[in-house]
Order: sequence, then C-alpha cells, then structure tokens
Amino acid sequence: MLEASRRGDHHGYRKEGQFPPAETLAGLTDMERVTERLCQVLEAEEPPILPDETIVYTRTVRGLPPVYTDEEWEKIKETHFIHEQGRVCNISPDYGRVIQNGLDKERENAARMLEGADKTQTVFLRCVIRSIDAVLGLAGRYRAAAEKAGNRAAAETLARVPHKGARTFREALQFFRILHFTLWCEGEYHNTVGRFDQYMAPYFKADMEAGRLDEESALELIEEFFLTFNRDSDLYPGIQQGDNGQSMVLGGMGADGKEVYSLLLKLCLEASRELQVIDPKINIRAGSETPIEVYEKGTELTKAGLGFPQYCNDDVVIKGLVGCGYAEEDARDYVVAACWEFIVPKVGMDIPNIGAVNFPRLVNDAVLEDLEGAPDFESFYGKFRERLGRECERINASIHDLYMIPAPFMSLLMDGCVERRRDISLGGRYNNYGFHGVGISTAVDSLAVVQASVYGTGEITKGQAEDVVRGKGEEDLLTFLRYREPKFGDNNAITNELAVRLLNDFGEAVKGLRNGRGGCVRAGTGSAMYYLWYADQVDDTLSGHRKGEAFSANYAPELFVKSKGPLSVIESFTKPDFTRVVNGGPLTMEFHSTVFWDGDGVGKVARLVQQFIRHGGHQLQLNAVNREKLLAAQKEPEKYKNLIVRIWGWSAYFVELDREYQDHVISRQNFSV
Amino acid sequence: MATGIVFDIKEFAVHDGPGIRTTVFLKGCPLRCLWCHNPEGMDVRPQLMVSENGCTHCGRCRQPCSHPECRPFGRCIRACPQGLIKVAGRRMDAEELAQELTGQVRFFEGGGVTVSGGEPTMQPDFLFGLLDGLAGVHTIVETCGYTEEEIFRKVTEKASMVYLDIKHMDSGIHKKLTGKGNEQIQRNLSFLLSQEKPFLIRMPLIPGLNDGEENLRALAKRLSGAGALERVEFLLYNPFAGAKYVMAGMEYPLRDVDGDNYIPPIPADAFEKAGVKYKIL
Ligand code: SF4
Ligand code: SF4
Repeated sequence: MLEASRRGDHHGYRKEGQFPPAETLAGLTDMERVTERLCQVLEAEEPPILPDETIVYTRTVRGLPPVYTDEEWEKIKETHFIHEQGRVCNISPDYGRVIQNGLDKERENAARMLEGADKTQTVFLRCVIRSIDAVLGLAGRYRAAAEKAGNRAAAETLARVPHKGARTFREALQFFRILHFTLWCEGEYHNTVGRFDQYMAPYFKADMEAGRLDEESALELIEEFFLTFNRDSDLYPGIQQGDNGQSMVLGGMGADGKEVYSLLLKLCLEASRELQVIDPKINIRAGSETPIEVYEKGTELTKAGLGFPQYCNDDVVIKGLVGCGYAEEDARDYVVAACWEFIVPKVGMDIPNIGAVNFPRLVNDAVLEDLEGAPDFESFYGKFRERLGRECERINASIHDLYMIPAPFMSLLMDGCVERRRDISLGGRYNNYGFHGVGISTAVDSLAVVQASVYGTGEITKGQAEDVVRGKGEEDLLTFLRYREPKFGDNNAITNELAVRLLNDFGEAVKGLRNGRGGCVRAGTGSAMYYLWYADQVDDTLSGHRKGEAFSANYAPELFVKSKGPLSVIESFTKPDFTRVVNGGPLTMEFHSTVFWDGDGVGKVARLVQQFIRHGGHQLQLNAVNREKLLAAQKEPEKYKNLIVRIWGWSAYFVELDREYQDHVISRQNFSV
Repeated sequence: MATGIVFDIKEFAVHDGPGIRTTVFLKGCPLRCLWCHNPEGMDVRPQLMVSENGCTHCGRCRQPCSHPECRPFGRCIRACPQGLIKVAGRRMDAEELAQELTGQVRFFEGGGVTVSGGEPTMQPDFLFGLLDGLAGVHTIVETCGYTEEEIFRKVTEKASMVYLDIKHMDSGIHKKLTGKGNEQIQRNLSFLLSQEKPFLIRMPLIPGLNDGEENLRALAKRLSGAGALERVEFLLYNPFAGAKYVMAGMEYPLRDVDGDNYIPPIPADAFEKAGVKYKIL
C-alpha cells in the first residue's frame, strides 16, 4: 500500500472538473457561494478505493471553481486589502474537538444556534450545516465504494466517522483526513496540522492499552496517514511545489505547563524518517528541559535530508506570545503556521505574514539622507530608528478594509465561531498581524561599517559610504567591505550588540500599533520570499552586499560571509531577545550529510541543537546537504559560499574545491546515499 | 606572552574526539607525509591559499599594492572581488586564544578543544600556553610524536588526552614515507605505554604504502596490553587528501593512488589477541 501511494497510483483517477461558471452564482451572498462551490466539488468527487487502503480519501477532480467572476473580484480588490489569494489561510483549526464529537453532534449544535439568529447569522449557520451535509454525503459514497471494493475495514471505519466521534486511532486518523480534505476543497490553503500528538493522544493511548495496536502496527498506520498528505499535494502548490503549509507540531508544553514527549511523537519522527516524503513538515517544540533523546530522534530525521524538523523554543515563544497579549493557556498551545510563524490554534485568525520590513533599504536610505548631518553614530542610529518606526506605521496603515472570502466549514473547526454565529474570515479571538524582518544580517553588517569605519576609524568617508549605497562605490572599496570583519555570525561584540539593538527596536516599532482588525502587530525574523523580492529594491550596501544578489533567507548570516563555524553562529544569533520579536523566522544552518555518517555525529548535532535552545534561540532549522544541493552549488557557487563538505580528516567549502574534487564529492554522495 | 602561528580553527569538529569540539590547527610540521591532507600545515611560515576554481582572471591581485600585509606574498591579498585569496597562518596569542575558546565552554559538555596541525609540538611554548589557558576544558593534543621526549612528556601531562599518529612501524619505510625515521616517535610511544594518561593511536591507511599485514601486526603487538590505550583509529585513505595542494600551489605526490572502494586489510585476529580495540573512520 505504501508503495502504491508513493508511486502516485491515485493520480490515475484524476480528471478535469466541469463546474458551472461563477456567473451562475449571481444573487448569492459570498458565504452561500463558497458553500455552493464546496457542495459542487464534493459531489463531483468519485471515491476511489485503492486495494488494502487504510485511510481513504483522494481528490479525483482537478481544480477548484472560483466563487467570483473576474470582474467581481477586481471590483472587490478596488476597495479592499486582499491578503495573498484572499482566502482564509495559514491558521490551525481544532480538529480534536470535531474528531471527538462527530459531525452529527456538531450539526445539532449549529442547528440549535439557528434559534434567535438574525439574517446574516442564519445564512452563516445554514452554510455550516449544508457543508456538513455535503461532507457526510461524500463519506456515505466512500463507504459504499469501500464495501463494493471489498475493503471491509475502511467501510467499517466510515460507518462510524465522520458521523460519530472517533473511538480508535484509525478512526481518528480517517476523520482527520476527511476534515483536512474538506478544507482544501472549500478553498482554504496552508491548512496546518497543528499539535497532532496532543489531540491524537487519547485514541492512540486507548488502542495501545487495549492491545489493538502495538508499536509496529502503530508506526505502519502513521506512515499510511502521513502519505495521505502527499496524495493531493500536487493540486495545492504554493509559491513552489511543496510550499503547502502542511506543518505538524510535536512535543512541547501542555496546557498544564508540563512538557509532553510521548511515544506517539517518537513514532511520528520515525515514520517521517522512514518515508522520506516532504509532508507533513515536522516541527518540534523544545525547551531547556527537553531530554536529549528528543533531539537525537529529531537529528535522525535531519540526517534524512528533508530539511526538517524545525525546532521552536517554548521558553522564548510562550513568554513572547504572552507579551503580545495572548492568554497564557493559548500561548502554551502555540503551533507553527505554514512555514515558521508562531500562531495560536483553534481561536487565532492571525495573519502572521501580511507585511515585511526591508531592513537593508532602511539603512541605505539613512546613509543617503541622514549620515551627512549626523555628528556621531548615536545620532545616526537614532535617525535610522525613527525611519524604522515610520516604515512599520506606513505598512500597517496600508493594510485596511481587509476582505477574506468566507470559510463556513473552516469556521466549524474554529472554536466559538458557531456559538458566535460568525464566520472565521471576519476574525477570531486573536486577529494579530505579523511583519517579517528581511535582510537583518545585511542591515546589521552595514550598520557596523557605519559605526566602526565611518565614525570609528574614519577609514571610510561619509561621501564614500553614500556612493556605495548609490551603486557608485569603487570596486576596491566594495571588495574591502565584503570581506571585512566583523560580520554578524562570527560572535563579535559589535555586530552582536547591533543585532540585539536592531531587533529590540523592531519590537518597539510595532508595539504601539493596532491593526485594522483591532489586533496588534508582531515583529519577526522570517523573510518568506522577500529575501529575493526586496533585494531587487536595494543598491549595493555597506556590508558589501551587491545589487542583484539575494539576501539570506530568514535569519542567517549574509550568504557571502565565511562563518567561523556553527558555535559562533549560534552565539551571535541567539543574543537578541526574541520575546520581543516573536513572529518567528528560523536561523538556518546546513551540514553536509557526511557529518552524520560515522561515529556519533548524530549525537553531536543533537547536542548542538540542545545548546541552541539553551542559549535562548527561538527557532532553528537544520539542513543536511545532499547531492542535488551540491549540483546546484556547482552551477551557482555564489549562493553556496558557506556550504561545507566533509572531505577526509577535514572539511572544505565546497565551492572552493577544484572542479575535479567537487565532482568527486558529488559522485561519492551519489554512491553513498 | 607566548604567540604562535595557527592556520585554522574549526568549530564543531565532529571527528576530532568526543563531544562538541573546536580544533585549533598549529602550523609547521617536521614530517612530510606523502599523503598529508593539510599541505599548508607543513611550513611554519604563513602562506597563500588561492582557490583558483572561481578565478575570473581579472588580474587585480597581480597589480602592485601598498598594503604591508601583502608584501611577503608578491600578490595583493585584499583585491580579489571573489574573496579567493587567503593567508593560511595567523600569529595568535596563546592566552587570548584560550580565552576565546573558553567562551565556547557552554557547548563543550562532554567535549572540548583539540589541538592539531601540522604538528603542535613544533611550537611548544605556544602549545603549553594554550593548554594552561584551557585548564578546566577537556583538551586533546593530536601529535605525530616526532618531538623531544621532554616536550612529549609535558604534553601528556597538560592535555586531558593524547592522540598519537603512527604511520609505519619500520623505520626505514617510515623515512621513505615521511622523510624521517620513527625512532623518536617510538620512544614517545613507549612513554605513553608506560603511563596512565588515556591516549589513542591513529593510523592513516594508504593503499600499498603502509597497510601491509606485517606492519599492522607489528602495531597490534606493540600496543598489546596497553592499559591507557583507548583504541586505535584507522583513517582510510581518501583521494581527497590532494584537494588542498592546488590551493597551496604545491604538487600532490600521491595523485596516482586509487583509494576508491578501498577495503583495508586489517588483521582482526592480531588486534584481538593483543586486546586492542580499533575503529575505522
Ligand atoms: S583577483 Fe581573484 S579573480 Fe582576479 S585574478 Fe586574482 S584570484 Fe583571480
Ligand atoms: S605528520 Fe600530519 S601534518 Fe605532518 S606531514 Fe604528516 S600528515 Fe601532514
């Protein structure tokens, strides 16, 4: 069965969707349109049952029909701020409640709320109910198909869920699959998985205790379940294939303040490692007390080269979120949105990636306009800080009259929406925005030049500095700047302190802001794709970064900087106080896969991660570099200056090796992996 | 204040001893092993390392410059827009370096600092200054053993552990392979065998040069019953050893040795009989 899923056998059932055009929806409210479309999509599905399939549901109809005509959508965009695709996205629903209650009960609850509802509320509740009915309808057809195909177990599972609450792990997984599948069909995207080990724990434990499952069969079941995330992911591309936000969070502090690292977590890590598929993307919540075994298991997964798990530090994040106004219990429950943003599940309608600050541009602007008149570094920096404040205000003010396409079925999965009779697209308990901080290292390194070389030694004149950021710097000076030390990441006091200051001030700059939905604005260290987009807007910088080059993605040293090594990078990058910039954005570090091969490499990397957490870093992503990466590095060496490969008794920067040796490393990889 | 020439400092060196470690490479070595993979570690003087791969032949580095630091090299080390030119070998102060390394101590749970080279005992004052400054940190000195007994004893005393490289048991062959006979090394090995500080023997295995059965049996026999010996580590020859010669502008003597798919002919019985554990890296 695993093999069949891997091969993509299920894609054989795909056909193009034939849906009536959006014009036929005229006269319906936006909410009714969404539900009408959901019903059409679910009705068009023809349940395929693969032989021996344990967890069913596969999309057979390609494409989702639009809820608006192009003209209608253009019109809406004229008067509203539209975030990305205009859909509810990047939030984390309460699968646990619905899986426990079953849809019959949820339907009753919604029906009860109809009493006393006003007109708009009634439309909302009716849409919820209609969606539930459509989901149950498709489930019925799946059940019939399973019976027909002789898949008794699947048929039995569907006889229970989604009508009634799950009793077994298998039922719970099937239920999850149905809910998650439906969210995609409704049009939401970046549908995160949330704290899987927490809400699945009761079913898993019950099965283990009753002897219905043992470790081996549980692992197999989890693997089958994980594969379901990859069945339809070709239909849900983000900016790149795989950018689909199916992120799962494991471990971390429970509601009672105690850390939970269960057998289920362990099996999830193992399943992911064995399968080597990119979904679900695994995140581990850790803290200073997290046992080393968790890091070791995590590192085994890193070694597989998928680029996860990503680690999040409970000690920092929970405190930071409380500082943003989240209730302690909600903060303790935090999860990771599609990529790295910290969000609160079940009740949060945060938009953590709604804006981004271009730090290198702000520094360059300050050099052009403020440097001349500033007598010392402090006054220069003060001007820069004012710019930062104005920029955050400007971005915030540019986001008004936000409109999101309603999401009645998603609303059913968010706590309190049905009770309030209000769609989640209009807001949840938390409606905070997040701003990414782009090019932080470039900005820090540039500020260090102003501080040390313009005001300090005076080896660079103000005029020269201005020329550089205008793109008119002399070649020799640019070369000097590029390889000059210090640079952020080599654990020197100057850049460490500037980074601390910069991020504190970023936190301060958004602190007083209120967004259009009454929420706050959170600052973060992520970049998303802005590390490319924003780099285009910036000329050369004083850090030696050249126009046309990308900034480093997320929170990492500049790409052309040769770091002293992972210890220095961790020292530097954990210095800032991330409780003030808690939107998320990981430090990314890469290790060649050979680091993990012999001896106790895995144990050592695990210790390093543990140290990162103990140093107060907020988020860490490790990559084991593989052959594909090396090939890419050969083609575009300037992007991979820091790529280290282990040779024999030593390691080298891959791009600096002679071609002959590079080829050899690559062939070795090929041979060994 | 002792100073010395260091050609590299490598953080998170996963193959240089237990735990998370930083390895400091001291420049200069009395031997000239044919397979040496750190050619820039041989000469104690600073030297240029140029990654010719990536050179656009723009000629900037060949233009005369006025930087005093470039004078010894006849080439401008600051001009390369690609950052391809580096100097291997920087004079450092032992105390300052020790202090910097001590700053990493939070990472060193179960790990520490390894001092390697080149040959660290070529700069004894610097080495001892460094080890003294690192009191309280677990230290390993990796040495080829070609040094006076007095220095060797002191290394053993100051370091938490010694890694001794043995290249060949036969002095005549040793001379052919490394330029020097092995008597001095063997004397120091005798000292290690006679004392209690934990040590480890490392031997590179170079196909056809030092991996003969006789040599390996002789090693096993020599180490038989050594109480303080943790294990022997064999480092398999790998053609990558030559990679840095191009950068150092040197000729790699073993270009023609084929190390691919090399299976080392280790006489397991001899090591078992001698009660010596070994590991292949
Ligand atoms: S400056 Fe750099 S790129 Fe130009 S010739 Fe010299 S080594 Fe080559
Ligand atoms: S002893 Fe070590 S550093 Fe010295 S030449 Fe031999 S291999 Fe190179």
